[in-house]
This record gives sequence, C-alpha cells and structure tokens, in this order.
Amino acid sequence: MEAFPVPLKIIMEAVKHFINAIASPKILFNIVFLFYLIVFPPFKFFQRIHDALGIDRLWTKRGGIFIFSLMFLAFAFGLTDANFRLIVLKPDNVPIVALLFLVVFFLWFAMTQAKENDEAIAKGDKPKEYADSREKVLVFPDLVYIEFLCLIFVAVLLAVWAIGLPAPLEQPANPTVSPNPSKAPWYFLGLQEMLVYFDPWIAGVVLPTAILLGLMCIPYIDKNRKGLGYYTYQDRKMAINTFMFFWLVLWMFLIFIGTFLRGPNWSFFGPFEYWDHNKLEVLNNINLSQYVFMIWLKQGMPSNILLREAPGFLVLAVYFGLLPAIFAKTIFKDLYQRIGGIRYSIFVVFLLMALALPIKMYLRWLFNIKYIIAIPEFFFNI
Amino acid sequence: MPAQLPPESHYDLKKLDKIFAFLAIALLLSIIGIFAKDYSRQWKDYQRQFRALEIEKAQVKMNEQENDLSKNEEYQQVLKDLKCAKDQLKEQASKQERINQQIKVASAVLNIHTQESQFTKARYDALKYRYEKAAYKSQPDAASLKKQLDTLAVRIEKLRLSIEADKTEVNARKNMLSAMQKDVKEFGRKREAFAKKADIIERKLAKINPAQMSVANQFAEMVRNLPLIELANPNYKIHQIVLQDIPEDVNFMKVQRVDRCTTCHLGIDNPDYQNAPQPFTTHPRLDLFMDKNSPHPLEEFGCTTCHMGCGRGTDFISAAHTPRDEKQMKQWKKKYGWRELHHWDQPMLPAPLTQAGCFKCHENQTVIKGAGRLNLGLNLIEHAGCYNCHLIKKYQGWPRIGPNLEFIASKLTKKWAFHWIDNPKSIRFNTWMPSFFHQSNNSDEESTQRGYQQVHAIVEYLFTNSKPFKAGSVAVQGDAAKGKELVSSLGCFGCHQIEDKKTDTIRTRDSLHREFGPNLIGLGSKTTKEWLYQWLKDPSKYHPDTRMPNMRLSDQEAVDIAAYLIKDKSAVVSKPVPPVEEKILNNIVLDFLKKSFTVADSQQKLQEMTREDKLIFAGKRLIRGYGCYSCHKIPGFENEKPIGTELTEEGSKDVERLDFGFVNIPHTKEAWFKTKLMNPRVFDKGKVLAHLDKLKMPNFNFTSLETEAITTALMGFVKDRPTHSRLADQSVKATFINQGAKTIRQLNCRGCHIIDGEGGAIQSTVTDWLVNYEGKDLSDAKAVTRSLSPPNLFGEGQKVQPQWLFEFLHAPTPIRPWLHARMPTYYFHKGQINSIIKYFNYLDDQEFPFTDIYHPTMSPQDLAAAKKMFSKDYFDCTHCHIVGNQIPGGTAENWAPNFEMAAKRLKPEWIAKWIMNPQDFMPGTKMPTYYDPRNFDASAPPDILGGNAKRQIEVLRDYLLTISEHPPQQANKPAEAKVKDWENRTKAPQSK
Repeated sequence: MEAFPVPLKIIMEAVKHFINAIASPKILFNIVFLFYLIVFPPFKFFQRIHDALGIDRLWTKRGGIFIFSLMFLAFAFGLTDANFRLIVLKPDNVPIVALLFLVVFFLWFAMTQAKENDEAIAKGDKPKEYADSREKVLVFPDLVYIEFLCLIFVAVLLAVWAIGLPAPLEQPANPTVSPNPSKAPWYFLGLQEMLVYFDPWIAGVVLPTAILLGLMCIPYIDKNRKGLGYYTYQDRKMAINTFMFFWLVLWMFLIFIGTFLRGPNWSFFGPFEYWDHNKLEVLNNINLSQYVFMIWLKQGMPSNILLREAPGFLVLAVYFGLLPAIFAKTIFKDLYQRIGGIRYSIFVVFLLMALALPIKMYLRWLFNIKYIIAIPEFFFNI
Repeated sequence: MPAQLPPESHYDLKKLDKIFAFLAIALLLSIIGIFAKDYSRQWKDYQRQFRALEIEKAQVKMNEQENDLSKNEEYQQVLKDLKCAKDQLKEQASKQERINQQIKVASAVLNIHTQESQFTKARYDALKYRYEKAAYKSQPDAASLKKQLDTLAVRIEKLRLSIEADKTEVNARKNMLSAMQKDVKEFGRKREAFAKKADIIERKLAKINPAQMSVANQFAEMVRNLPLIELANPNYKIHQIVLQDIPEDVNFMKVQRVDRCTTCHLGIDNPDYQNAPQPFTTHPRLDLFMDKNSPHPLEEFGCTTCHMGCGRGTDFISAAHTPRDEKQMKQWKKKYGWRELHHWDQPMLPAPLTQAGCFKCHENQTVIKGAGRLNLGLNLIEHAGCYNCHLIKKYQGWPRIGPNLEFIASKLTKKWAFHWIDNPKSIRFNTWMPSFFHQSNNSDEESTQRGYQQVHAIVEYLFTNSKPFKAGSVAVQGDAAKGKELVSSLGCFGCHQIEDKKTDTIRTRDSLHREFGPNLIGLGSKTTKEWLYQWLKDPSKYHPDTRMPNMRLSDQEAVDIAAYLIKDKSAVVSKPVPPVEEKILNNIVLDFLKKSFTVADSQQKLQEMTREDKLIFAGKRLIRGYGCYSCHKIPGFENEKPIGTELTEEGSKDVERLDFGFVNIPHTKEAWFKTKLMNPRVFDKGKVLAHLDKLKMPNFNFTSLETEAITTALMGFVKDRPTHSRLADQSVKATFINQGAKTIRQLNCRGCHIIDGEGGAIQSTVTDWLVNYEGKDLSDAKAVTRSLSPPNLFGEGQKVQPQWLFEFLHAPTPIRPWLHARMPTYYFHKGQINSIIKYFNYLDDQEFPFTDIYHPTMSPQDLAAAKKMFSKDYFDCTHCHIVGNQIPGGTAENWAPNFEMAAKRLKPEWIAKWIMNPQDFMPGTKMPTYYDPRNFDASAPPDILGGNAKRQIEVLRDYLLTISEHPPQQANKPAEAKVKDWENRTKAPQSK
C-alpha cells in the first residue's frame, strides 16, 4: 500500500469505502439478485434488459477474457488492502477463493458451449455433441482413462497444495474458549447463514432435507426431452434460470457471505473492514404476532397460543395453499399445463420453500420481522 | 493400449497419452517434493552446523593436548622408549612368526577336540535318557545301552584330557609371545597414561569428523542420513525430554510434557559453548539449571517447565519463541521469519520475564533465591497490598496493608482527610496509598467536580462512624532537637524514612524495607502532638493489629520525638477544601439509589434525606465501590469481600478475556499487565461510560521497572502446576523455614538485621547518624557502621538457645548496650515467635528440640588455666567483653557482649566453634582469631594444658558458662562518665 502515490491512495480508499458500504447484505443481496435477474432472466421484462445489454456476448471467448480480467483485477485490487489479505489468504479460505473462480469458469464454459450449440441449432445445424456416438460410449478410454488422468491430476494438486500451504494446526481445544467467529466448514456456510433468518430446526433440518428431496425430484419434474446429451440454453431456459437462482443466489452467494463477510459474533464486515470483535449490530426484531396485536391492534397478546399465532398461520396457509393455485392460473399457466397437477404442486412447493429464504430476508430488513409464527413454548418458530 | 482406435471414442487418445505422460512426471515431481519437504528441516541444518562447531572445538582441544604433550619431556622419553622396544620386536619377527604359526596349529587341534567333546556329550545325554527309560521299564536292550553309555563316558574323559593338554600347549606359546612383547606393552601403557585426554578427543573426532573416518564409516555416515533410511539411526535426529510429573494442561486432561528444545539448543548444557552463536549458546546459569549436579537437571525439568512455549515445536516459529522487545522482534523477523504463533495459549516468556517460571514450584517460599526480579515483584505486591483487593492464594491470611480507620476522628482533621483521599501523593510523594481521583478516566471537569463530592462523602462517612479514642495529655515539654537525634539513632529508619523530596533512586528490595512504614513528613498538618505521643508510647492502643512495634520509649523520649515530628507541615493541606455541592451530590446519591429503586422512589428518598444523610449514604456506597475497606479497617465493612479479580491464576488467563479497549498495544498478557499497572484506568480510553461503569483500580504510580517486576510475578501465577513431588521445599524443615521467613517478612526484621544474607537496610542511616551526631567523618563512620548497627543474624540458630530467644523476642533486653538502635517489643500473633525460633534453628540445620542440657563442672586446675587464658597476657577477653558490671576501656564501638549472658543465651557447642574460628561464622567480625585454623594445635599457647588447643577451648567454654560463679579481675577501669552512660543505657526505660 505504501508503494502507491498519494492521490491514487485516496481514490483507492474511497473505492474501498464504497465497496464496504454496498457490501451490507441488504444492498449486496439486491445487487446480486438484480444481477441474476438480468443474466438469467426468468421474466420477459428482464429478458428485454438482458437483450438490450447484450449479455449473451459474455458467453464467448472474448466475454470470458472480459469476465476473468475483471475478477482478477478486482482480486488484485483487494490484495493491496491488509484486512482483505488477512481474510482471503487464510489457509482455511483458499478453497473458497478457488471456488469463486471455478464456479464462474464452469458457468462461463457451459454457457459458451450452450451458446454455440444454440446458434448451430438456430441455423438448422446439429449441436456439437451430435457427432458423438449416440448409441454407446466406451468405458475405455472414454471413462476409465479420463478418470485415471483426473485421479493423478488431483493427487498432484493435493500434494503441491500440502507442500505449499501446510495444514493450519491450532492449540489444544479449550471448552471455555470458543473461537470467534465460530464457523461451519465452508460447504455448510450457506446453511449457517440461513440461521440468521430461521430457527435451527428449519435452517439446519427442514431446509437441507428439502434441498436433497428437491434435487431428487428434478428428473421427475423436468419432462423436457429437449437438450438431452448436449449443452443448450434456449431449449431449457426455464430450468436453467430456476436452477441458477437456487445455485448462485441461494447457495454460492451465501457461502461467499459466510466466508468473507461474516466476522466475530457473526457480525457483518465489508471486505476491507477490520474484524473487530467489539463491533455491535442492532438486533431489534419482533414477531409478526406482535406486529398485529401490539402495534396495529394496540392491545395485549392473546393468551391462547393458537389465537396469538393465527396471523402467522394464515400467512403460511396463503403462501403454501393459495399461491400455487394463483400461480397455476397466471405466471405458471404454461408450465402447469405442460407437466400436470402433481408435478406442478411438487415443483411449486419446493420453489416456494426456496423463495421463503429471500422473502424472510427482506421481511427482516424491511420490517425487522423475527418470526412469522413464534411459539417458543414448543420450540416452534418459523 | 489397444492397437486400433475404437471409432466410437470421443477423445483423441494420442492427446490423452501426452497428458498422461505430463501428469505422470508431475506426480513424480510432487512425490519428490513431498520427501524433500519432509527431509529438509531447520533443525537438521542447526545440527549440521553444531557438528561443525563440535569438530572445530574438539580440534582446538586436540591441538592443545598435542601441544602440551609435545612439550612434556617425560612423554617424549616414553615415546622414544616405545619406538625402541618396537624396533627390537621387529628384529625378532621370524621368531614371532614361527610361534604364531605354532599357536595356530595348536588352536586348530584344540578346536577339533572341543567340538568332538561337545558332540560326544550330546550323544551321551541322549543315550542316557534311552538307557534310563529302558532300565525303568526293564526292557531287554537296557544292558547293551548301558555298555554303549560307558564307552561314551570313557571317550568323553579321554577327550577332556586331550583338551587340557591342547590348552596348555597354546597358553605356553602365547606366554612366549607376550614375554617378547612385554616392553612394547609396558611403554604403550605409559604412553596411554599420558595421552589419556588426547585419546578420548581423538576417538570422539573419529566418530564425528568425516575427514578422520574410514571409508566404510564415511559411506555408512552418508547412508544413515538418506531420506527414508534415516528412520533407523540417523546422525541428525530430534532430541526430546519427556516429563511425566510436570504435565502439560491441555484442558480436557493433563499430558506428559515433551520438550524438543535441545534438538536445536545443542550446547545448552555444555560449558564449552558460552560464546557460541544461538541456538548453540550455553545456558547462562549452569550452576542452577541444566547440569546434573544443579538443583534443576535438564533431564528432570526440561525447558518449557520454566520458559513456557510449545515444547513439541521443532522450528523457530512452532516453538512459540517470544522476543524480549520491539528491537529483537524486528531482528527475528529478518533473521528467522518470526511471526507470532497465534494458536498457542502459553507462548514462551520473553527473556526479561523468565523468572516468572520459578513461581509455579517455589510459591511457598518468601524469598526465591536467584530470582531477583520476581522477588522484587512479589515484594511490591506485598507493599502495595494488591492481595487486599485481589485474592491471591499465596497471600491468604496476610494483614490489611492500610492503617485502621476505626478511630479516625481522634487522629485526623476532615480537611487533611479530604486532601489525602483526593490526592495522597500531593501530601506525601512516595506514599503507598494509591490515587483514585484525577486519573485519566476521571479528570475532565465534570468528573473532577464529582470527585470532590465523592471525597466529601467518604470523609463524612468515616468521621461520622469513627469510634471515640482518647489520646491523653502530654505531661512534659518536648525538645524537637533531641527528638530528631532519637529518630535517627533509635532505629526508626529501619522501617521509616523522612524524605521531603522525590529522589531518583530506584526502588530495590532492600530500599523497600525502609518503606515498610510511612515517610514521616507533614505530620504537623495531619495529627496532634497528643496523638503522636500516645501512638509512640504504645501503638497497639490505637490500632490493635498494627505492625508498628513498641519502642519502649520513656515519656521524655516520646515527647521529644513527637515534638520533632509534629514540626513538619504540608503546604497542600492548608489549601481550601472545595465546598459541598448539593446538586452534584444529589446526582451521586441518585445514581446509587436508582440501582435498587425506581426513579420515582429514588427521587422520593432523596427528598427525605438531609445533606448529612446524603453524604453518609453516598460515602458508604463509594467505600464499597472503591473497596477502601480491603486495605483499611472501617466500621460497617467488617464482613465485606475483597472487590478485585482473583489473581491466583492470572498468568494462565486467556488473552481473549482481557479488554484492550482502544489502546494500541500488542495483544499479549504481559503487555496488558504492564500497561494496566502503569495506568490502571487506561483501558477506558475512548469509551463512552457512565460514572459508575468506569474502571476503579487506583493508580500506584509504579515506574516501568516496577511494573516489569510485578508483571513477572503475575505471569508466574499460573494454573498448571507440577505434581506435588516436584514442588520446591516439601520437607518438614523447609515448611518451618518458610513459615518463619513469612513472619520475618511481615515484621520487616530485615529492615534492621541482616538475615540469611539479606537486609540491614538501616545501616546507611547509622552512618548518617555517626556523621551528624557523633562527629565522625564519613570514612570513619562507614568503618564502624557495622559494629554500631543491629547485628547480622548469621548462624543465629547455631548460636543462641531457643528458650533465651523466646524470652528475648517476647521482652527484649539489651545485649549490646553500646548500640543506640533499640530492639523493639513486637505485638506478636499466636505462633509468630515460635516460627522465628524454628526458622533460625532449621536454617542452621539444628535438630529439634534445638538444644542440649549442659552443666559444666570445673576442676581447680581447669579454672586456673581458664583464668590464665582470660588474662591480659593471653587472650585478654575483658579488653572488649563486658563481664557483669565490668565495662572494658576504649570506645563503645569496640565493646563486645556481656559474658554473664553466655550461660543462658549461647549454645555451648557454638561457643567452642566460635573461639576456634570466629571468621568462619561471621566473616569480618571484630573477634580476634586466636587459633590458626590451618595449624590448629601449634597455634595454641604451649604453656597451658600442655598446649592442647581442643582442651583449652573446652575449658574456656566451660569457664564462660560458669563465669558468674568465678568473675575475672577487672582489667582496666574506664572513665567515670562512660560508666554512667552505660548504666543509663542498660536501665533504658521499659514501658511494658
């Protein structure tokens, strides 16, 4: 940092302050969400923006160079900052830094191939993979040889990694001292981030189970025969856009936040901010029932639990009962007709569960909603 | 690889093969990398360097030896003889060869016979079994077996004879040979006797120096250190010390301590490496540590026991080294790439704090010998009374450090008390009373004003609750000049000072003795003459638990001293006291009330209070809040608990538990302790705090050296202790010594006496007195200071009888009336006198009950001999010693104790040893040495008891013990005035 001339330093500091400011989850989530909507537009409105901006040009070699130059530049810029270095270069965090680049790379790689195929199909040609045998693929060399090469490659990678970056060992565990922040392994950080918005039994049990079940359901829900055996975007737009929402926004992004932006006491820190364990955040959250009875109706809480939480139950009933029906008549009309009632119901329930997370986030940020249904007497909070 | 490419394949196989080839090479390289990384270790480099150093040192020694030998003529002669003998032997080479040949042949025959004999015996044993079985079962072949057996027996016997003959043959030849080689062997042995040391070094060099090894050994040397093979028996390996009974606490369990420090610190226990570079340097204190004969051998104590750090670490960083200061940190970063090992809770103690490591085993000792800084830290803790507010197990049961405030109204004025509490150091710059106000977190205008009201409240509470005490009136007029002389001669300066200005002197353990009592300045503004008089006459009347002893002052003496002390006034006290501001006072009271009541109730209660009520109410809460009662006895706080954090295990506290606030210092315990001690309120810096939430620890104004010493002690207060067997001084004897040492420390005996080599702080003031009042010049004064100071109690346990010591401590009687310093009468607690008696006796290895009964009887001859030795012509004992009422001539500093006390006071064995060689007991004593310890009997007067020195001493001893029955003649009569003076002093008024 000392190496830079003063005016540049001032500009760099200003940029860092700006990035720290927009890194707040309330803003960053919106940015990422908007970004997602434009890059993988689920609705016509965003499709138009997508087309106007020519986002498709990203899925070319030039686009790739552009994306990665941008990423590396941003990373290099970040490394000039001591606080950024401290977190990003921690041996524990190396996989996640790599993950950021790899996810983008594979996304770009798949989308580029899809784009090529789409263009070929548009011209009336066959997709690239069509040339491959459509009847069978040989176990050797197409599977075994490749696997073997991968095995060696990964072995080399791990060996070099282990030599270059020895495993970080810590002192004997002390039951009276817990590390601050206490973080889950990186692949669970998305789940840990959910704990901010949900009770452990939902964030830690129900939602992970739903993720697994949802993944299992995909082949049964998705009846689209198009795009089998080759990369395509145009033929599977709906599926890809939906999946990208789950994958990029609800999974990768949360891991990113959990790793780099959550510091001591799980407080939020910008990427260039020092992780000061004294930092305090306001956590004044209230339940929906309190909103209804205390603030709107200006009366005491009913003593009957069910009556007290009736608004919450009502909201939930509408959300999972009424919304699917409304959707079936409106935005998912085509889908409903294409895949039928049962498939549609399963799909829409999983989708709503996934959407519950961003919805809860917004409710928290906008209205300080703690729980929709709060029955701490039975540890039942949603 | 299939010869033909299957057409269905999606991939270009040739390309894949190329990738495979590339990856295979990469894998090979990475595996080599793994081994290389595993093989290359910092410590191996150090061991290689050390080996080179070792070779170099051995070479130097070898050269020295060779040099010495080459100068040694005898050795050269032996070498010549040896060569000569060898030459002679060579001339007989053919004869030798012949004999050797004969030995070979004879040995071969011997071998054949021996072997045959063994085989036959085996056959015999097997046959014997068969025969015995057959005979038992009466089988028919028994007879024939018996016959075979007998044949074999005969054969064995025959073989035995031949073997014996063969052996004789071989031995005879060998003897012939050795007779021929006799000279060579003889001179060889002689040579070895000379060159023993050189041979040892040479053998060592042959082991470690590749240049001096055989080719085979060089090869083995290379192979044993190869990667992988090195697991068997390499040259370079990790050295470790495993300690079962000094375990390491890993939170869930205790595990054995493993110290691998000696892997790199290879010369640590070898005195040859004192000037070698690190990490090979010798330990600076081999007399105390490392060495097998020292109290802490390396194999039994390891390194991390004292130094802390991570013993299992084998490189510079993983061992958790800690730099001594900023400068060293920079050096280390450059040299070793040092960084802080975050993940280790007990990093190595930085070098200046190393003595902290002593405490974990030596906690029960009052003085830990050799650990000066730690001792200073502990002494400062004792003087500052840290243990009054902070529980420290070591100091449980130690007295309150501050004066009794139960009768405060009879002693002080409110004005003085206000100024004192507000800023004690402004009245007495070096007081131990710490400052609560005008500190970094309460010196803004609002807090200062609030502080004044707080002081008002505290003063009001103390004075309102003060119990009545009548000082009594002073009957006579005092003479301040006389008082001043008394203060400087009586021994007051063993515990007190009278210094009105700050000096640059650094506090040492010795100077602390003279800060045991307060600096006696400004008493005129503090108290009244009457109170002082009363206090001086009998301190226990005002303060039953006081540590101020009774000096047995006469009324006149007490008045004189009071008159002198009351003269000095403090300017600060005459300043006006800020008035009571009801508004601020209300806020203070309200803050306290709101803690227990609602705001409305608090307001209500406040309304009902008078101004005095408010002051007293706030005063009580403030005294509780600041913990004044921890150090002072205050009515109404008899059963309160101390207010500070417990410090018993402070050294093991996790750094995370210390609040560094916004203070920019390294996040280490030692830095936090030091900063806190320098300014106890510093961690409030930059924080927004309510008045009651601010830090309250008062400021002792320690210097940085003092904070370093206290930090050393704090770092030593650790949790993980060795097992009981490893704690220092567990014997019964040591326990008694430690108990006595504690009493001696608590009563500040060392202020006047030198005990166990330490103390005697008063001596410099005795010099001053001699200069100012006895008209001596400085060098003369210094020369006689020791004779006119309270005695050195070296060997006291061997010297005095326990019964006498008990009575003396209980009610002292003058032993050396020429001393002006007076042994005070102490208000001992239960057991304290006994602990002192045991201390002295066990310190001198006296066995319980420390004394024997001895009633000497003297024959007339012995008596005559003793008297003769006593006389002027011989030892002239009465030249210095007093006998009964007979005073020797000369000046007081040459006098010696009264012989009449000997029978009751001294141990008979000691008297004999003392006469034999007084310098042995007290180097530099005035007592002449009559017997030459090197030439004992010859130095005795030959004409008494046949010149038998032992008998002479025995007779002298017996005579001394019975001297009151047979008083000697007075040698020379001193002047009348002196006799009077002496009588006055022995009859010094006894107040009790």
